[in-house]
Amino acid sequence: MRQMFSIGAMTLVAGMLIQGTGDSCSAADEYDYDLVHSSVSFKARHLGISWIHGRFNEVSGKFSLDRTDPSKSTFALTIKTASVDTANKARDAHLRQPDYFDTKQYPTIEFRSTSTKAIKGGYQVTGDFTMHGTTKKITLVLMGGKEHDFKKVKRVAFSTELSVKRSDYGFDKNAIGPIGDQALIIIDCEGVRK
Amino acid sequence: MPDSTVYMEAMGAAVIVSTVWLLAMSAVRTLSNRPSLRLSCLGALAGGLVVGYGMLPLNLAWPPRNGLERLLTLVIPAALLVELVAGCQRVPTAIAWLLRLSLCLSLPRILLHDSVYLSGSDRVWDVWQASGVLTICGLMVWGMWISLACLSDRSPGVSVPLALPMATVCSGVTVMLAGYVKGGAAAFPMAAVLLATTLAAACVSKRAGQTHNPGLAPIIAIGVVGLFGLVFIGRFFGEVSTGRALGLLLAPHLCWTTECLGLRYQKPWLVGPLRLLLVAIPLIAVLVLAKRDFDREMAPLLANLRQPTDHHQCEGGTESTMRAASRSQRY
Repeated sequence: MRQMFSIGAMTLVAGMLIQGTGDSCSAADEYDYDLVHSSVSFKARHLGISWIHGRFNEVSGKFSLDRTDPSKSTFALTIKTASVDTANKARDAHLRQPDYFDTKQYPTIEFRSTSTKAIKGGYQVTGDFTMHGTTKKITLVLMGGKEHDFKKVKRVAFSTELSVKRSDYGFDKNAIGPIGDQALIIIDCEGVRK
Repeated sequence: MPDSTVYMEAMGAAVIVSTVWLLAMSAVRTLSNRPSLRLSCLGALAGGLVVGYGMLPLNLAWPPRNGLERLLTLVIPAALLVELVAGCQRVPTAIAWLLRLSLCLSLPRILLHDSVYLSGSDRVWDVWQASGVLTICGLMVWGMWISLACLSDRSPGVSVPLALPMATVCSGVTVMLAGYVKGGAAAFPMAAVLLATTLAAACVSKRAGQTHNPGLAPIIAIGVVGLFGLVFIGRFFGEVSTGRALGLLLAPHLCWTTECLGLRYQKPWLVGPLRLLLVAIPLIAVLVLAKRDFDREMAPLLANLRQPTDHHQCEGGTESTMRAASRSQRY
């Protein structure tokens, strides 16, 4: 009887522990970047009078959202520079050259979060942004984060805009030419829960 | 954007520094012995390159971040250092060539450091492929070096070192036409320095009554390493095709043709120009092909521009305005 009681007690404790561990795991939901429903685009000034638009077609990333403790949430994004697409093949080929993105030397543009803070309507994420071999700490304001259940697949989406000065990231000032130094990167990403 | 005035200024400054250095050294002290002329040539090369590249807006960084910066800040100074050591009388020839071999074998690895070819999760080559390509390229540049140094020893004259700046300038233009403007621009001061040092060293050597110009060895060293480096980065970081890269690298070796055809004992004024003419043929062919591709690539962009340029012409717009407009239209 005593043996049965002790086995039952141990099972209960183990069950509680497992349940507890399970709860702590599910506190942070893991999401994968959904390439089909996301985009990383950019625009830069042309001759200071108009905007040129482009996008990166190959992007990957993941983020974990801890709803109870947002500071534990993490965000990571990797953009393949060779996938630059401005709807003009010749220009894209030139942008891949060492005078611009130098895709053979710097194949990716990356963002890795280091701290996250919940704000109204989203998150304020600070992290390391690496482009053209130069890493700088930046703060992104990610708007969104509302979860949506579509066909039993949970999705969450964020939007943000980031203004970068290309010369700050080691781009050759002399190669900037008719394209402005400042570029606006627009990220709209949808994550699929793992 | 390419600015020919800046290139011309950089080339001019490089020529002046190299020439003045060598002539000043010959005026201050007699350069009749081999080591002193060789040392003066090394100084002329180093000074010319520093001033030439200083005038180009290359924005070189330290530590170097890409292939071009590694070529200019690591490889070229290393080649100068190797030639400095190799020129010492106490250093045996075999040791000098071993030093050159080690530089040649490390050259491709240095230039491709941290690139997609050798590192990263999406690396292009596996370890064996990388080892194979790097070794072949290293042995190739060593072979080029030996070949031109032997030819220069065998038939002294300025044709061999003059073939190198010719090939260097053509490489620069080809790399530029392939879309890598900064990489191509780096060829111009180098070609100017090689040309100026060759001619000045020939004058000094002739005045000193030397039959063999000892200053040719460092000129060939910097010429071969510089040419190979520029073509290599144009091939692996730019869009220069393998065929064109090989054409540019092998063109100076056509100087050997005169030896093979038995023209060796002909008059130097006949052999020298013939060699340069033979070298020029593949170089011109490469340039024509590069220009053709450049025009074809640019055609869709320029087509949209025809109307505005005609308009410019009607209004008396200059050719330079149209060129500037066509450049900006690309973006």
